[in-house]
Amino acid sequence: MGEPFKSVLVYLDGTEDSVTAAMAAIALCQRLQASLTAIYVVNTKALQDLVKARIFLDIEEQEYRRDIEGDAQRYLNHVEKLGMQKGVAVTPVKASGTVHVEVKRYLQEHRMDLLVLGGISEIHSRRDELLSETDRMMRTASCPVLVVRNNDAIWDMFESLPDVQ
Amino acid sequence: MTLTDILDRDLIKIPLESTTKHALLEELVDVLVEKKRLRNRDELLDAVIARESLGSTGLGEGIAIPHAKTSAIESVSLVLGITPDPIEFDAQDGKGSQFFFLVIAPEREAGAYIEVLASIARATASPTFRRLLGCARSADEVMRLFLD
Repeated sequence: MGEPFKSVLVYLDGTEDSVTAAMAAIALCQRLQASLTAIYVVNTKALQDLVKARIFLDIEEQEYRRDIEGDAQRYLNHVEKLGMQKGVAVTPVKASGTVHVEVKRYLQEHRMDLLVLGGISEIHSRRDELLSETDRMMRTASCPVLVVRNNDAIWDMFESLPDVQ
Repeated sequence: MTLTDILDRDLIKIPLESTTKHALLEELVDVLVEKKRLRNRDELLDAVIARESLGSTGLGEGIAIPHAKTSAIESVSLVLGITPDPIEFDAQDGKGSQFFFLVIAPEREAGAYIEVLASIARATASPTFRRLLGCARSADEVMRLFLD
């Protein structure tokens, strides 16, 4: 039997939880010799909704879009560097739109077979409009999902992997 | 992140006592400063007022979402307050505002900030929800409404 997962997608959103998920994904891909893609989705849908609801002025929308695109690049670079450190090539992908829709589309179009997520929050409400994008991704993904809790064990495990010289 | 991730009963004030826009923004910021024991009250208030000066965050239907990002805070924070009667807030529908969601975020958490604002917009878009919010008489009742 071959390895269960050959192509892994990890979702980044600028939180520490998502970086921890990326560390776990790097360790997993190193062990399985799988390919790893990191995706950051600039949530332009939410930005547009905020303008439409008149919560944001146009000038704010532009400013926050720039901020998030900057964050996206920074976090993708960081995870690429973490991968290089452990000998795992990470393909960075920056997308924009509705987060869970873009992630689902990427999973399907690229036939990814595992989605790695960090930071599923506690269930506070059953109201659909109060679900986070991470919750939605977990519910709509077309492949198995690995949820990585942000804990010290993952950081320790990652640190214990030998660095590539 | 959604508003329920940061909703805290100690950051809900019912009723708000202020009857003018400026006093109300001060009252909301003071709730945050007191609960989180922050030292930079003026910096927070200035950020909120600076945003408000660009255009009112009174959206209409009684809802206002004053917001700002500033380095004077460590994490995305929400204060929710309800006045007994609508007050003049320069809302876009010309009517008074009664339900106030103050959201303040650090400069570096744009993604989470936007998700929280978007979740408030989605939740308050429902007329039924607004009616229920209007019936809430305590922080506990508001918590139940959101967390049910």
